[in-house]
Amino acid sequence: MEILASTFFDFGINVQLVVGGLALGAIYAVVALGFVLVEKSTAVLNLAVGEFLMLGSYFGVAFFMERQTNFFVGTIVITAVMALFGLVIHYGIMRPMVGQGFFAIVLATIGIATVIRAVVQMRFGPLEKGNLTALPTGTIEVAGTNIRWVDIIVLLVVAASVAGFLAFYSLTRTGLHMRAVASNIEAAAGVGIDPDRAYALTWAMAIGIAGLGGVMLGHFTPSVNPALAAIGLRAFPAAAIGGFTSVGGSIIGGLIVGVIEQLAGGHLGTKWREPVAFGILFLVLIFKPTGLFGQKDLERV
Amino acid sequence: MSEMTITDTSTSGSSSVKRVPASLRVLPFLVALASPLILDNISWNPFAGWKILVGFILLIVVGKFAWSTAERDPDNPRLALKLWHRPDQRALTAMTCMGLVAIPFILGTDFDPPMDFPWASWFRIVNYIVLFALGAGAFNLLAGYTGQLSMAHAAFLMIGTMVGAHVGLIWGQSFWLCLPIAAVAGAALGALFGIPALRLRGLYLMLATIGVHFIVLLGWKEYLVHYFGFGGVRFNAPNLPSWLHWVPGINPEDGEFLINTQFRWFWLNLTITTICLLFLVNVIRSREGRAFAAVRDRDISATLLGINVARSKLVAFALSSAMVSVSGCLLSYYNRARSEDSFNLEQVLDYGIIIVVGGFMGIQGAIFGSVFFFALPMYFEWMREELPFISDIDFFSRYAGEVDLAIRGILVVVVLVWRPDGLAGLWQAAKNRLLRQFQNSQAGAAQ
Repeated sequence: MEILASTFFDFGINVQLVVGGLALGAIYAVVALGFVLVEKSTAVLNLAVGEFLMLGSYFGVAFFMERQTNFFVGTIVITAVMALFGLVIHYGIMRPMVGQGFFAIVLATIGIATVIRAVVQMRFGPLEKGNLTALPTGTIEVAGTNIRWVDIIVLLVVAASVAGFLAFYSLTRTGLHMRAVASNIEAAAGVGIDPDRAYALTWAMAIGIAGLGGVMLGHFTPSVNPALAAIGLRAFPAAAIGGFTSVGGSIIGGLIVGVIEQLAGGHLGTKWREPVAFGILFLVLIFKPTGLFGQKDLERV
Repeated sequence: MSEMTITDTSTSGSSSVKRVPASLRVLPFLVALASPLILDNISWNPFAGWKILVGFILLIVVGKFAWSTAERDPDNPRLALKLWHRPDQRALTAMTCMGLVAIPFILGTDFDPPMDFPWASWFRIVNYIVLFALGAGAFNLLAGYTGQLSMAHAAFLMIGTMVGAHVGLIWGQSFWLCLPIAAVAGAALGALFGIPALRLRGLYLMLATIGVHFIVLLGWKEYLVHYFGFGGVRFNAPNLPSWLHWVPGINPEDGEFLINTQFRWFWLNLTITTICLLFLVNVIRSREGRAFAAVRDRDISATLLGINVARSKLVAFALSSAMVSVSGCLLSYYNRARSEDSFNLEQVLDYGIIIVVGGFMGIQGAIFGSVFFFALPMYFEWMREELPFISDIDFFSRYAGEVDLAIRGILVVVVLVWRPDGLAGLWQAAKNRLLRQFQNSQAGAAQ
C-alpha cells in the first residue's frame, strides 16, 4: 500500500470520491434504516437484510430490463410487493417464534436469506445481469469534476423517501404507535395499542425500504448479481455509528461509512474497503458502544 | 462443592448394589472397537452382504453386553459423576463406537445396495461431518454454552491454516507439529480477540467479532500473496511417524505411510475429533464449565456467585479458538488446497446453522447438526437421481443446487419454529420415551 501525495490531496478526485461515497452511503443508510427499525422495535437481528436488497435489485431487473416499466410505477410496485413480503415474514415466521432465544431467531433470518438466494437463482440464473438503466446515464460537470447523474438521482430519491418515512414515523398517529411499541411493548399494550399490528407494519416498512434500496443499488453497481447480498453486512457499521437504537442516527452512520469506505478504497486500494468499514465497527463498539446517538441501556439483575 | 443429582431412570424399582470389575466394564467397548476390524478380515464366505447381517447381530449383542455390565450403587454419589455409567448410556456408547469404526469398512467395500446409493462420495461427506463436528463443537462451547456469540469462527480457521502452512510448508516441519502449534496460537489469539467480550455482550459482541473476521481476512490475503502467490497454497499429505509403523493394518510403502486417501483420513480425523470433543465434554462437566453456564445465564449474577467472569470469558474464548484452529489446520490439510477466497463470513453462518439445528447447548448438537448439514444434500441428490417420480421432474435436475439451498433454508426455519432445542432435543425426547416404555414393559413382566 502506498499513498500518493498527488492523488491524496487532489481536490477533484476527493470530491468525486466523496460524492460517490455519499451515494453509496445513502444505500447503506437505507439498509441500516431497515435493519435498525426491525432491531429496535422487534428485537430481531435481521441478517437477511442484504438478501432483501438483492431481491429488490432483481425485481428491478424483472421490471425495468425485461418489461421496460416506467421508473416511478416500477419502483412503487416493487416497494409495495416487498412490503407485502415483510407482512408474510412477520405472520408466517416471526410471530410463531416470539419468546425464543436471540440466536435462534437470527438463524431463522439466515434461513429466509438462504431461501431468497435460491429462489432468485432459480428465476434469474447464476449469471450476472447488466446494471439497471431506467435512470439517465452520463455525467454532469460541477466545479471542475464530473459527477454521475445516477449518484445525484440516487441521493435525491433516497433522501426524499427517507424524509417521507421519518415524517410518517414521527408525525402520524400510527408512527407514534410504532415508536411506543418499540420503546416498551407492555406499556404500549397497556394503553390499548395493538403490538402485533405495529410489528407487522414495522416489518412491512423495513422490507419495503430495503426493496427501494435494492432498486437504487441496481442502478449504482456495474452489474446485478447474487453477490450483491454481501452489501447487507454494511448495515452493521452504519447502525453502530448511529447507535443501534436511533433511526435517524443510522442514516448519518450510513453516509459516514460510505464516504470513509470510498475514500479508503480510492487512496489505499479496493481490498482495504471491507477492513476499514469493519475496523470502524470494531473501534466504535469497543470505545463507544452507544454510538453517536444511541441510549445507554440500564439493566436490572 | 455441589453434587449433581441425576435421576437414575434405569434402576427404578430396585435398589440393589451391583459391582462389576473394571476389566469386565471395559470389555464391551473393546469388542465394539475390534469386531468391525475382525469382520473385515474374514472373507471366506462368498455370499455378499452377510457381514452386514452379522454386524447388526453383533451390534445388538454388544449393546446388551454393555447394558448388563453397568454398575449400580445408589449409595455411591461418585458413580453418578462418571461419564457413561447408566446402562442405557453404556449401551448407546458401545453401539456408537462400533458403528463409527464400521463406517469406513462399510463404505470401503463394494457393497452395492439397490438404486445405486453413492457410496464413494459418501466417504468424503463422512470425513467432512467428522471435521465439522469438531469445529461446531468448539463453536458451541463458546456460543451455546458460554453465550458469547462470536462471528470470528472463520478467522480462527484461517489462523489454523496459516500456522499449518507456515510450520508445515515454509519451515518444512512435520504435520504433527502443526496441530499443537495451531492450538497454542489459536488459544493466544482467541484470548486476545476475546477482550471485546469483557465489555460487550450479545448483539454488540457479535458485530465486534465481525470486525475481527474482516481484519484477519485481510491478514490472510496478505499472507497468502506474500508467501505463496496468487495461486493459493497446496498442502502435502501428512506422513505417519515411523514409530507407529508396527500397528497392524499399516503397511508403509518405501518406508513412509502417507495419509492421502479418504480411508486413512477418516481414522486421523476421527481420532482427533474424538479426543477434542471428549475434552470439551469433560470441561463442561467441570467447575470451569459450570462457570461458563453461569456466565451465559446472567453474567452479572455470576459475579455474585464468586465467579471471575472476565477469566471465564477469556478461558472460553481461548479453549474454543484453540480447537477451532486445530480443526482449521486439519481441514486445510484434508482439502489440500486453499486460496484467497476459501474463507468467508458465510462459513460462520454455516457453523451457526449446524449448532442451532443440531441443538444449541451441548456437544451432541454439534454432531447431529453436522450430519444434518452434510448428509441431507447428499440424500437429496440421490433422491433426485434415483427415485422414480422425482427423477422425472425436469425442474429438480435443472436447478439442483438451488433446490438444495431452498430446502435447507426451509428446513432450518421449520426446525427452529417447531423444535427450538434442535435435533439433539428431538433425540433426547425420543430416547426418554423409548426408555420409559422399556421400563414399563419390564415392570409389567416382573409382576
